[in-house]
Amino acid sequence: MTNTQVNATRDDVMRRLRGVRDFLTDAEPAALVTVGAMSIALISAFIAFLLASPLAIVPFALFVVTAGYGWLRHQGLTARTLTFATTVSTVLILLLITTFIVVESIPILQYESATVLGVSVPGLRMFTQARWDAVSPPIRYSMVPMIHGTVMVTAIATAVAAPLGVSAALFLSEIAPATVREVVKPGVEILAGIPSIVYGFIGFTILSPWAADQFRTTGQGSYLFVGIVVGLMALPTVVSVAEDALSSVPESMKSGSLAMGTTDWQTMISITIPAAFSGVSAAVLLGVGRAIGETMAATVMLRGVPKLTEPLYNAFYGQETLTSLVANNYGEADGLQMDALFAAGVILFVTVLFISIGSQYIEWRMRRKLGGEG
Amino acid sequence: MLEGNAGGTRVSRRKFLVTSGAIGAAGLAGCSSGGDSSGGDSSGGDSSGGDSSSGDSSGESGMNTGLLNAEGSSTVYPISNRGSSYWNANAPPSDGEYWGSNDENTVPGWDELDTDMNLADYFASLYGFEPTGQRSDPPFPTTVSLSHSGTGCEAVRDGLVDIGNSSGPITAELGLSDSEAEEQFVDHVVGRDGQPVVVSSDIYDAGVTQLTGEQVRGIYQDEITNWSEVGGPDQEIFVIGRAEGSGTDTAFRLNMLGSADASMSGVNSRFGQNQQVAEAVSNNDGAIAYMALAFTSETVQPIAIEFDGTLYEPDRDAENTIFDSEYPLNRDLHMYTRITEDTPSGTDVQEGAFLNMFLTSFGQQVFVEQNNYIPLPTADIESEAAKLPDQA
Repeated sequence: MTNTQVNATRDDVMRRLRGVRDFLTDAEPAALVTVGAMSIALISAFIAFLLASPLAIVPFALFVVTAGYGWLRHQGLTARTLTFATTVSTVLILLLITTFIVVESIPILQYESATVLGVSVPGLRMFTQARWDAVSPPIRYSMVPMIHGTVMVTAIATAVAAPLGVSAALFLSEIAPATVREVVKPGVEILAGIPSIVYGFIGFTILSPWAADQFRTTGQGSYLFVGIVVGLMALPTVVSVAEDALSSVPESMKSGSLAMGTTDWQTMISITIPAAFSGVSAAVLLGVGRAIGETMAATVMLRGVPKLTEPLYNAFYGQETLTSLVANNYGEADGLQMDALFAAGVILFVTVLFISIGSQYIEWRMRRKLGGEG
Repeated sequence: MLEGNAGGTRVSRRKFLVTSGAIGAAGLAGCSSGGDSSGGDSSGGDSSGGDSSSGDSSGESGMNTGLLNAEGSSTVYPISNRGSSYWNANAPPSDGEYWGSNDENTVPGWDELDTDMNLADYFASLYGFEPTGQRSDPPFPTTVSLSHSGTGCEAVRDGLVDIGNSSGPITAELGLSDSEAEEQFVDHVVGRDGQPVVVSSDIYDAGVTQLTGEQVRGIYQDEITNWSEVGGPDQEIFVIGRAEGSGTDTAFRLNMLGSADASMSGVNSRFGQNQQVAEAVSNNDGAIAYMALAFTSETVQPIAIEFDGTLYEPDRDAENTIFDSEYPLNRDLHMYTRITEDTPSGTDVQEGAFLNMFLTSFGQQVFVEQNNYIPLPTADIESEAAKLPDQA
């Protein structure tokens, strides 16, 4: 850090401190007392809640009373505090859920520890062998078959949703007449509202038996068709978000290109798509996220027997995904089996986290590369 | 305060009168019900002495008319819940459809009951409760919650509910030894659930209408993978199991494969619900599965199974049928009650009154058989009735 930077930072801190001090002196003492009492009551209520104390209602009631009083007498400051509190509680709830699923999965991590170079690594055995059997010995809770299943379904779903979705978005945004777009776009968005069990039901009763018959598999349930169905489910999301991205490319850029004598198609592939690339990638990643988290269709269409298919790329047999494992077993599981379901939840959570970070990164990189605002 | 006292005395006096009346009624019922008469008579004799001397005190403290609640297995739920619904409706004997008899209808098993009291009034009065005479107003209300066998057993253990419904033995659900379970709980068996082995219609039509227990074990443990090995067409076997670790899964492993933790390496697909199994069997060629009797149909055919030289057929009129209690895939449906200091026998009069309803011919037909479960044979009904408290 150079000297100027240090100075700048110090100035910044000083300015902020001064801001806080000004705020404290400006505000009415009565309002400050009210807001302070409100905050303390809320924090005490939260602590009492964490301790599972039945007395949590007392500080919470106090909070409600002080908030009500504050709203009537010092609305501005109370509203600021309340909106801040809701933001904090959103983050806090997420943190608590994350902590809970991780803590719940600790016993299974201990049970499935494996020794590498003399060091015992908790949870490693869940990934180094592929046996899942919760009943007959040796009892093992491997996550490998479910990770394999999730990867298969997601890959197939992306292969379905990405090309279909992006080209449909391109047509709607750049080629179709305005009237067609106005009718089709909301129609596609309505498709996103079809509950997943409807897809799953059609898959289970019609598609899967048909596929089993056509491909001569032993019984129904294949990653291929689950992937196709999940891809179709993700399609409206992809179309809608990609269309938004494509149509937000400034008209001036396209006109500039056309003025140089390019055709419409050349403008699309050399100007519109590269400019909207971050948005289009975000659309595909959102679709992937939906595919990974999709539970209902996978649960009813898959076989529910956790094992790897042979060979690994065999998509004509569909065993189990991380989500369907939880959905199939939560009712009957207890002890370690239940903890293993929480471990599956942790893996899903981490995966979705990385996808979300990935999409943010792509967006950031594209924005830096292409420059400009927005 | 004074009023309250006066009211209390009046109630208990009336209750005493009713109790004596009920003893008479029980005596009559005992005379008319044939099979149960010996048990009924002796219990009547035991209790009548106690009641006549301490009628007042039992009226004050013993008659709990609070809510009777039960919880547990989804398999026992249809029986339990239907019983509870009937009980709470407290239909009058003129109803005909749910209770009693009229010109159009008579409930099954009515000739053994033949009372002029409402449904819940009748069964409750056998245990000394006061009849209300009002439709929809039973002497005490009942409710049944739906969860799982293990949850039901835990709830009755922790005293959260009066009755814990379970499709597996409580020893397995709570990890108790037989003697521990006997010390803490009373096991009331109200019916049986059969788990016939079913095959898809293409296999059935091709002539596979019976298998041996050993063949079924081989199929589920991946030793037999083609129907041609057991006399069927050249077709891969689509082996369907149930949710891993569920009551149905455990019962099948225990009864068919030899132990509760037997390997099921041959299973191709697992489903949680009977409906899904039935759908999958009818939609796929070469399928084999096991599931509740109620879901069998033209396309989901139950087959005969031979165990130790005895052939159990899916036909009610055969010599040995899959409905017999000897059929290894049948399991008892339990309603557990807890032994406490207040009720050393394990079953208080409220629980006794409710459970007794299921052990009548009426209860077995309406609550067990009409839900497609297997009613208990007469001998079992007698031994189950002996676990209930003495009738008033």
